[in-house]
Amino acid sequence: MATAREAREAPAPPLTVAHFPRPRPPLMDRLVPKGVLVRIGLIIACIFFLLPFYWMVNSAVKTTAELTNFPPTLIPQVFDFGNFYRAVTYIPFGTFLLNSVLLTSGVTLGAAMSNPLIAYGFSRVKWPGRDFVFGICMATIFLPFPVLIVALFDIFAKLGWINTFLPMIVPAFFGSPFFIFLMRQFYLSLPNEISEAARIDGANEFQVFLHIILPLAKPAVAAVTIFAAVQAWGEFLAPLLFLQDESKYPLSIGLQFYRQSHDVAYNLLMAASTLIVLPIVALFIAFQRFFIQGVTAGSIKG
Amino acid sequence: MTLLPRSSIKALMLGILVITACSTGTSNQAGPPLAGCKSGTSLVTFWTSHTPPDSDSLKRIVDAYNSQSSVGCVKMVQVPGSETDIAKLTTAVRSGTGPDVYMLDRFTVAERAAAGVLEDLSQFGASSLSSNYLDFAWAEANFKSKPYALPFDTDTRALYYRKDLLQAAGVDISALDPAKGPPTIDTIRTMANKVNKKDSSGKYTQIGFVPWFEQGWHYTWGFVYGGSFFDKSACKVTPTDPKIVQAFTDMFTNWSKALGVSQVQTFLSTYAPPNLPAQQNAFLLGKVAFMVSGDWVLGNIATYTPNLQYGVTYIPVPNQGDQPATWAGGWSMVIPKGAKQSKAGFDFMKYIAGEPGQRQYTKDSQHTPTIKALDQDASLFAGGHAFFQKQLSAAHSRPPLPVGAFYWDQLSTAQDAAVRNTTAPATALAAAASATNAKLQQYCPLP
Amino acid sequence: MQSQRGAALIAAPRVHLTASEWRQLRTAAPFVLPWVIGFFAFTLYPIIYSLYLSFQSYSGFGDAVPVGFANYKHMFTDPLFFKSLYNTAYYTLLAVPIGLVVAIVLAMLMNQNVREVAIYRAAFYLPSILPLFALTFIFIVLLNPGFGLVNFFLGLFHVPTINWLGDPSWTKVSVVILAQLGAGGPALIFLASLRAVPTELYESARLEGAGPLRRFWHITVPLITPVILYDLLYGTILGLQIFTPAYILVGGTSGGAAYTAGPDNSLLFYVFYLYKNAFQYSDMGYASAMAWVLFLISIVLALLIMRWSQYWVHYEGA
Repeated sequence: MATAREAREAPAPPLTVAHFPRPRPPLMDRLVPKGVLVRIGLIIACIFFLLPFYWMVNSAVKTTAELTNFPPTLIPQVFDFGNFYRAVTYIPFGTFLLNSVLLTSGVTLGAAMSNPLIAYGFSRVKWPGRDFVFGICMATIFLPFPVLIVALFDIFAKLGWINTFLPMIVPAFFGSPFFIFLMRQFYLSLPNEISEAARIDGANEFQVFLHIILPLAKPAVAAVTIFAAVQAWGEFLAPLLFLQDESKYPLSIGLQFYRQSHDVAYNLLMAASTLIVLPIVALFIAFQRFFIQGVTAGSIKG
Repeated sequence: MTLLPRSSIKALMLGILVITACSTGTSNQAGPPLAGCKSGTSLVTFWTSHTPPDSDSLKRIVDAYNSQSSVGCVKMVQVPGSETDIAKLTTAVRSGTGPDVYMLDRFTVAERAAAGVLEDLSQFGASSLSSNYLDFAWAEANFKSKPYALPFDTDTRALYYRKDLLQAAGVDISALDPAKGPPTIDTIRTMANKVNKKDSSGKYTQIGFVPWFEQGWHYTWGFVYGGSFFDKSACKVTPTDPKIVQAFTDMFTNWSKALGVSQVQTFLSTYAPPNLPAQQNAFLLGKVAFMVSGDWVLGNIATYTPNLQYGVTYIPVPNQGDQPATWAGGWSMVIPKGAKQSKAGFDFMKYIAGEPGQRQYTKDSQHTPTIKALDQDASLFAGGHAFFQKQLSAAHSRPPLPVGAFYWDQLSTAQDAAVRNTTAPATALAAAASATNAKLQQYCPLP
Repeated sequence: MQSQRGAALIAAPRVHLTASEWRQLRTAAPFVLPWVIGFFAFTLYPIIYSLYLSFQSYSGFGDAVPVGFANYKHMFTDPLFFKSLYNTAYYTLLAVPIGLVVAIVLAMLMNQNVREVAIYRAAFYLPSILPLFALTFIFIVLLNPGFGLVNFFLGLFHVPTINWLGDPSWTKVSVVILAQLGAGGPALIFLASLRAVPTELYESARLEGAGPLRRFWHITVPLITPVILYDLLYGTILGLQIFTPAYILVGGTSGGAAYTAGPDNSLLFYVFYLYKNAFQYSDMGYASAMAWVLFLISIVLALLIMRWSQYWVHYEGA
């Protein structure tokens, strides 16, 4: 396993919350007249990244006949919005959606409650062995989850937790290294003096955390919450292992299983996918700032 | 974005915990568990991985049982799965959420019983039913001389051919009359090649015969070539039998190469992807002119394309004068370990795997019953079905090994490699042999 | 490095702690305890239990029967085990370097002084937060050999139709391409590190006559090597775990005829085979052995990458 120093250095890109002024692009500015070449590159890349999304919506409003047409039409000749209605009624969409919401809410709650707390202990309190233990915490990022699935399944089966949401929600309340790292990065940027001042005033550590630090950490907590929610919404392997009843499936595996026992036309599948993806897109548009700042630990503004 | 006030958090937490805890609730009201059942019956969960139209027939049988039973009230649930993939069942049983009755492919009963997934049915008096069933079917349902399943249906395979497509290509189909005995593979090859069609970009839109399409399995051609898959005295599987290797070479590797390996794969990906609903079968839609498949296709034709111009004959053989060969498969009803309503479940099994259920299923789906008495009832085998029924007495069956499902998957892997010409059949089959024998060892000698 | 490692170990709690150090522990405990408990319950214990199971024959039902090293020995004679290793290695060796290059190129594009760059940034990042299973469904439609858009495009350039999901030579490539849709996240991290490069370095290099390519290789790249290392490590670990797209593309537990994981088992990734062994063949002992082998491979790979990184990673300060 990586040493404490390596673990501290390696997964953490050397980002600080220093505000760098927007630099002149180092490479292309002399070469390219008026950024034309750049724009071409940007647009081509844009096409690649947005194509799946566009094609999903495009296919979702086509009729089956037009969908299997060759050559494929970039814009539907006939718009069939009934596909959305059919997707939601032919597939038990409502059940899957409710399960997704429950699962995501539980996991997000756990993440929002545990990670700020844990990261505080790893950053704003000195204690012997802190960096070593933190190193272990970071090292677990590099432990592939599939290594644990057989054992976890057996353990949860013996606990009687299979076919409930517990195997996914309960661990969320015990922190997750990625989010601990994110919160810790943020905490490290806050000056020591504010904690010291509160301690001198007689506050115990928990009060310092709750009343001083946490209110300042709202953007980071928001980022953790959003990331946890997005991740839980798309979770596939864990529900696949731990849920048995179709009535408990979230959207991720529900849709896939329904495809296997029933004939789901591609346009319905795309319509259902569009509905599944829509909340994430909406969340992104509304909170883009938090996504970007969260990923880069605050180095990039908006 | 602000943190939620603590009281809301607590309320949310409580709500989520309550909902998840209540997620496995059982109703405890008086009256019938389901509409259509009698009061006082126990709710029996029945899982099947079958899809329409067969699952429609099963539903009819379930409804008939419910209306007359005072013991059980059956709820039928369709689950994903296949002949060899019962992951959903095993994980459910393992966690105590399994069904009371499951429809299991019969040749895997020994393997699942060995793994501890199934309940021994002797405790319900199943042994007394043995004389009702065809011998080979009953043998498959046993493990270590104990019954773990009640046989349900069986089936045999034959060669279907499209009269209209062949005649349009100028083929003389009188050579395919079953009265003339099985046609040779060369005959079929010549006929089939006349029907092949490609479009302007070189992709196949029609192929006369793809031997591995539908039921043209490793077992099928292996049996047709006279190969043996299991040596009981040596307690070893023998897919490296030269006859089986020859079957693979002729019907998979060379046939695929003659058509163009990647072109025929593209054709199959387009017109025969996995999970295709029965009514879009490539034979029914006229994409192929020949197809090796089972008697249930008669039921599909009757439902979806009743005016189809087709005929049925023996599966083609390598040499003129060879004996025709086919194999019989079929399903069974089992009770998984830990089933909560096993007694009521067995009562249901006696019905569906008994005379009333099998009669209905045969009529609807054109499968073949495993109950001896029904087997001799000519009225159940109208029209083309009689041909399949006649084959039954001479049909092979797959060796009921405690590694049966595993062996099937290994053979399928070898078949896939042969069809794609990525590995020589002898090598691929040798790999299947060593992997399966390694697992088989612990069960030797077999009773 | 050696002395620092030693220092860290000495700093780890052994026997002698001063009174103030005890106090520090007591203060910190309520904060980190949740993680510690979770680590023991959901990480450490399962790993050890997995090791125990790997020496048993266990179908998931009834009792586990000790069989010594039989499961590990079986691996060496199991052609599908090697196939699954090969598939995962193939995928990882393809996806990680490509992913690195794509992320860096994206980051450079996002760093351009174009007015509407925020829109492009959003466009590049968005797919990386969409659920992978939904993207897989879309790819099934896009890559269809009969009516898919991708083959249509290729046809315009007279490239013959590729059976992306039906041809064993192309299935893994399809998954690699799918994975690139997630390049937005790493790209943002690279963007941050690109921004952190002091512009004076570029200025002085330009004054000395260095062209853009030389500036890239000798200034940009060395200074972003820590992020490259992070991306390599994380990408490799993700590559070893690849599962969901394969499961969906194959149809999982299909009611059809998917007895192989994709054409010629070309999508039988290591974790997929692990899953099949545990839940389809009811051989949890063997699956646990596979899990431990994966664990060891991950550790070895991570260590190798870290060791190799000594030669090319420049840390800013210490």
